[in-house]
Amino acid sequence: MDVPQGSSIVSPQTFPYMVATFTSLVGIGLIMQVLRGRLGTPEGNQPGDPFLGANFKTMAIIATAIALHVILLEIAGYVIAATVCFFGVSYGFGSRRYLKDLGISLAFALIVYFSFTKGLNINLPSGFFEGVFENG
Amino acid sequence: MGNSFAMLMDGFQTAFTPTNLMFGLLGTFLGTLVGVLPGIGPALAIGLLLPVCLTVNPTSALIMFAAIFYGAMYGGSTTSILLNTPGESGSVITALEGNKMAKAGRAGAALATAAIGSFVAGTIATLLLAFGAPWMADVALTIQPAGYLSLIILAFATVGTLLGSSRIRGLVALSVGLVIGLIGADLQSGALRLTFGNMNAIDGIETVTVIVAIFALGEALYLASRHTLVRTEVLEMKGKAWMTPEDFRRSWKPWLRGTAIGFPLGVIPAGGSEVPTFLSYGVEKSLSKNKDEFGKGAIEGVAGPEAANNANAAGVLVPMLALGLPTSATAAVVLVAFQSFNIQPGPMLFQTNPEIVWGLIASLFIGNALLLVLNLPLIRFWVLLLKIPTHYLYAGITTFALLGAYALNNSTFDLQVALAVGLIGYLFRRFGVPVTPLIIGVILGPLAELQFKRALQISQGDWNILIAGGFPKIIYGILLLVIIGPLVWNFKKKFAVKK
Repeated sequence: MDVPQGSSIVSPQTFPYMVATFTSLVGIGLIMQVLRGRLGTPEGNQPGDPFLGANFKTMAIIATAIALHVILLEIAGYVIAATVCFFGVSYGFGSRRYLKDLGISLAFALIVYFSFTKGLNINLPSGFFEGVFENG
Repeated sequence: MGNSFAMLMDGFQTAFTPTNLMFGLLGTFLGTLVGVLPGIGPALAIGLLLPVCLTVNPTSALIMFAAIFYGAMYGGSTTSILLNTPGESGSVITALEGNKMAKAGRAGAALATAAIGSFVAGTIATLLLAFGAPWMADVALTIQPAGYLSLIILAFATVGTLLGSSRIRGLVALSVGLVIGLIGADLQSGALRLTFGNMNAIDGIETVTVIVAIFALGEALYLASRHTLVRTEVLEMKGKAWMTPEDFRRSWKPWLRGTAIGFPLGVIPAGGSEVPTFLSYGVEKSLSKNKDEFGKGAIEGVAGPEAANNANAAGVLVPMLALGLPTSATAAVVLVAFQSFNIQPGPMLFQTNPEIVWGLIASLFIGNALLLVLNLPLIRFWVLLLKIPTHYLYAGITTFALLGAYALNNSTFDLQVALAVGLIGYLFRRFGVPVTPLIIGVILGPLAELQFKRALQISQGDWNILIAGGFPKIIYGILLLVIIGPLVWNFKKKFAVKK
């Protein structure tokens, strides 16, 4: 790390070192607990409940939907990015009525887009809609 | 005292202007909404609304946020009683007796005692807040940087060790928060820390992004990963939300006792609203003449914890306003809201921004009354919200959270951060690590460093200043008690079992 030369009494590294020490100590504490078999209770479970394992497939669908939103937002615009994200998450949560889901996703994205850009004057990437609604 | 009263009256004048009244009403409505809906709480709601509200005048926006804070407490009880999945962590206990009452066809009485109890507790606690916070601020004006640092460290310790089931996991969450708080340019020297050459990280990680991502995205990822998506049934509510004279007779003492437990535990950072509601439930159970009803739907078990919950919410505002020290996730995001309007809560707040702070306090009284009116007659409307399918609910929350993260700076970097923090939020939930200490770490970490540097500048680098004087010594003494107390207690218990 580059530390600028200066006359400051406390170096910008001092506090981070304190945090690092603290983090290492609690990290060691956590490792010791886990080695002693205290693995932590998943949220919503009672201590001692059997853990059913994680469903990484549904989780990956949600994570992908979020990632797609991030990637699409500035390329394709807000409406498309939000539609994809909404649809993806509801798919991940087990909904399979594709047409209805798609309709609700698109409606949600459009309502949010127009209430933000027109109602609240907060700019969102228009992408695809560039120029289509601008002069409306 | 007299001065506070006059200031409070001025506050009512501020709060009663049409604009502010409208924002207060909107806030109570939104607060109840997010309280009722599972998966979205007051911290997340305020975080999401923050980018939208930066164009509104600070007083109106803060009045709305405070109303959301209170409103969520009311809404949470509805979900607990009718759905048995608590909407808020402070409503977990309410579900115990409240849901049993609803199953026995007494949902109306449970909802009424929760709402009226919240009103009674909220009003008394706000009154205590109005007179307690300025007093605390006066005292705090004399605190030196070293003393302030000791208070922050005490808040770290209580929030880190008292939340959740495992002390070490709370501290792990705190340390992750502290590390996130370090990212970006050092305020005094300009040295870049933990940015790894990424230009976007120079200004640090947005606290709001962290809050929104850890609550909304972390929760969505975690719920999706659980094998069974439990569809819980919404209990029908028969009759009106009202209480019989008998219900009143059994409720009013628990309301007052709940207030007495909830408020002080909010003022001294005792870690969220779980502890006071648990305590209140325990007290009501041991004092009740109808002990056999507990576990089958005792009205005292709803009245006490709901009052404690609301009184606690007001109590948490005392150190938040007077010291600038948030001790719950919601108080933390309210603090961020203040900061984004360039207002720093703390001892000076009552002098620098009296119209805002007193308008805020006065609006809490108004909001409380509005909530009572909004909740009891409109209860059927709120119940309808519980019928939104889970997949649409979480799809909406996720998409809206991403919007909130983006709209703050119009930057996709914030969205990348949000996804990363969302995954951390997933891991935390999966392994039983509480998320509130992380948020407290992100917010108070930089403040701790600031006070630390100030203290050492005053002493010209002599570290002894950190424990010089009476005030830090007292605080560190309390800190030792907080850390050692539970250890001794556990040891004694183990020893007793062995014998």
